[in-house]
Amino acid sequence: MCQLDRFMLWVDAVGGYWVCLNNEILLGQPIDRAGVDVPILGDLSHAHARVRRDGEGYLIEAIREVRIDGRKVAGASPLIDGSLVQLGPNVKLRFRRPHPLSATARLDFASSHRTQPSADAVILMADTCILGPKPTSHVVCRKWPGEVVLYRHDDKLFCRGPGVLEIDGRQYAQKGPISRDSRISGEHFAICLEKV
Amino acid sequence: MNVPRTQASEPGPAAAQAKRFTYPGGSKPLDGFTIKRGVGHGGFGEVYYATSDAGKEVALKLIRRSLEVELRGIKQCLNLKHQNLLGVFDIKEDDRGDHWVIMEYVAGDCLDEVIARHPDGMPAHEALAWLSGIAAGVGYLHDHGIVHRDLKPGNIFSEEGHVKIGDYGLSKFVSCSRRSGHTESVGTVHYMAPEVANGRYGKEIDVYAMGIVLYEMLTGRLPFEGESVGEVLMKHLTAKPDVSMLEEPFRGVVARALEKDPAKRFSSVEEMLASLPIDRSSGVLPHARVTQAADGANGSNGAAHTWQAAACAAEVRPTADDEPILRELRKALQSVREWCRDSSPGVHVAKVALVALVVVMTASYWLPLAVPALFFYAVYRIIRAIVYPGGSPACPRSTGAAPVAPRDVTRGGVASNGASREEARGRRHYRQPRPYEPPTPALIVKSGRERVADLLGSMLLAAVVSIVMTLAIAAATPALGWQVAPEVFAYILLASIAGSWFVLVPSKFWEGTRGDSLLRRLVMMAMGVTLGVFAWGAMQWLAVDPQDLDRFPEDHYALFRHARGAGQWPLSICLVAFGTLMLIVRWWLQADPLRRLRVSLWPTAYSMIAATLVAMVWHAHGWALVAVAGIMSLSIQVASPWLDPRPRQPKLKA
Repeated sequence: MCQLDRFMLWVDAVGGYWVCLNNEILLGQPIDRAGVDVPILGDLSHAHARVRRDGEGYLIEAIREVRIDGRKVAGASPLIDGSLVQLGPNVKLRFRRPHPLSATARLDFASSHRTQPSADAVILMADTCILGPKPTSHVVCRKWPGEVVLYRHDDKLFCRGPGVLEIDGRQYAQKGPISRDSRISGEHFAICLEKV
Repeated sequence: MNVPRTQASEPGPAAAQAKRFTYPGGSKPLDGFTIKRGVGHGGFGEVYYATSDAGKEVALKLIRRSLEVELRGIKQCLNLKHQNLLGVFDIKEDDRGDHWVIMEYVAGDCLDEVIARHPDGMPAHEALAWLSGIAAGVGYLHDHGIVHRDLKPGNIFSEEGHVKIGDYGLSKFVSCSRRSGHTESVGTVHYMAPEVANGRYGKEIDVYAMGIVLYEMLTGRLPFEGESVGEVLMKHLTAKPDVSMLEEPFRGVVARALEKDPAKRFSSVEEMLASLPIDRSSGVLPHARVTQAADGANGSNGAAHTWQAAACAAEVRPTADDEPILRELRKALQSVREWCRDSSPGVHVAKVALVALVVVMTASYWLPLAVPALFFYAVYRIIRAIVYPGGSPACPRSTGAAPVAPRDVTRGGVASNGASREEARGRRHYRQPRPYEPPTPALIVKSGRERVADLLGSMLLAAVVSIVMTLAIAAATPALGWQVAPEVFAYILLASIAGSWFVLVPSKFWEGTRGDSLLRRLVMMAMGVTLGVFAWGAMQWLAVDPQDLDRFPEDHYALFRHARGAGQWPLSICLVAFGTLMLIVRWWLQADPLRRLRVSLWPTAYSMIAATLVAMVWHAHGWALVAVAGIMSLSIQVASPWLDPRPRQPKLKA
């Protein structure tokens, strides 16, 4: 459907984030042919579970063994902020909806597993992805003075931030279009997108 | 192939000072590695996260202008192996003559961040787990004749529960560069033993640094803080650390580790560890707990357990923003409530009825006292609010369930600290601590057009609610045996609608932002003055007899009766009355989408009490102003959008 499906978001001095744009994502083992959106290097099936954004809410569909807060999921189960998702015997993810006004969610790794290639967290981006100092940000950048927002409009990605933004060598005032492999920098930050 | 350096980062110290990284993600300054992102800046250079062509994750440390003698220090450490030391794989030179240290990359927490998450210190067992890991690594270095010299939380990491120390062997750069006069990171100075000033670099300086790190882990702050590097250095040289808040054995251990004379300190890391209740074989962090703590800190926003924790904290701790008189009063009320509480419902009802009876029977005694007391209290609160617009001066931090970053206070991280203090302030609008931060990005999520549409909807709804409420009051007054002319209700209705709109419009623009409370009050006051003009116009147009407004239903409230004489009021009396009403009530909070309940009667009661006081002070508008305030408050709350603060079960399609 949507041509932008996922990318890595590298944030200088903060971390690397695996961003998925689709409303439905498949979690599983990192095997090329499986069409897995979030490949996790863990004891999982090729296609282990599906997470679906349904309007404002999120739903997880178990294809193989999935537990939410210790309870086994048969079929599907809603995800709420703070849910601990266990895939297979060991892989644990914490589901977060940090911002009350954004449908974007984040999956933090609660076990030592990581995506392949490795990311610090997975972001299920709805319309906006907020990078900023507050705990309500999707990407918490503790030392930043202000917020930078990636957002989607008509299936295109844009970036908004304070002051002048330099996107792929061009200068924009406050906002500008970005692609899946853009480099964006402002006065206090630098981020870089990478196709995966 | 190499990607050229970006414009902003031509060689020179400027790039480092601006806290920007020389190489952006995707560049390949060193053959065989692709940089993904910058990680941080040390005193010696930049650190990047990179992957090799085959996909191996590494940390790359860029060392500029490196001298052979400096490189020798790192080369010494190339083949050290210990589970608590960050692995160093190799050192390579790029085409420009810059050296790169290829190191193990750690995805876990940095001790720096963990300390920041525990502003009042971490649990002792956790601190001990870190310390024993640090001690094991440092002990190994000492055993190999190497002094770390730059131990600090920013160099200490945890991965899968194991403590890892980085930057050993590199710290010589710090000393070399300092001598050659380059500006360097000053973070290190907080952990620097006094004898370093004289050029002594024995292993006692690592013991000293460990003492500071232990102190910081246990208390959340540094023993020696200062405005400048010089001040901190001076304290290291002369000041005695305040260890009074530590318990034994920590107090003694920290005090001895921080002795000014290196000879008086522990002679070795092992000796220091032996004085602490540590399982010496460990050095393994309780991983699950650390992760959990991380969860709590990162997402203090709405996880079910965090919400509960916040609610419990609110019960245990009297709300921090309380002003002392109110707090005492609330405590008294609480004790009455406790007394009333009973397992059997019959007794409970009887007790409540008894209390109510006593209150009503004695009303004629305390009511005349209560009204002026309330008035003086209100004046006191206003002055207090003006003096401390943000919150209580006594305990500014304890409101914050969110992570506060006290470390930044001491190290010039002004921005983030300022932000967290602002957040703490922002959360005191209602008595219960809110697990949400006020979301500035509401502005991002909502476009201007949506906002205007929202506003129009709210205004329409507010008008409807005002009409309903006014009709209800109009229907109720005859039942009370109280005759009021119909134009008075028309006046109340118009004033209420206009009043709620005057609140809704600015509140819509302030939605999701934090702002200066005093400034907002003043804006509201300006709105109130405008409202006063409107009300005065409405009064003229409807030919309302001020006598009808100027009266409270019961004549024995002599305070409310006063001789203004017949005839119309001057405009000024409307201006001051409405202006004051809008100034003393923080109306915008009732329109805040993040208020705790959609409609709460407390703000309404508060607004009506404020209106009563205004009517008394200005001898104007009597009961009509109280009615207007009540209607405004309810219609604003009903009409403003509201977000349920608790995480709700998402609605699922069948």
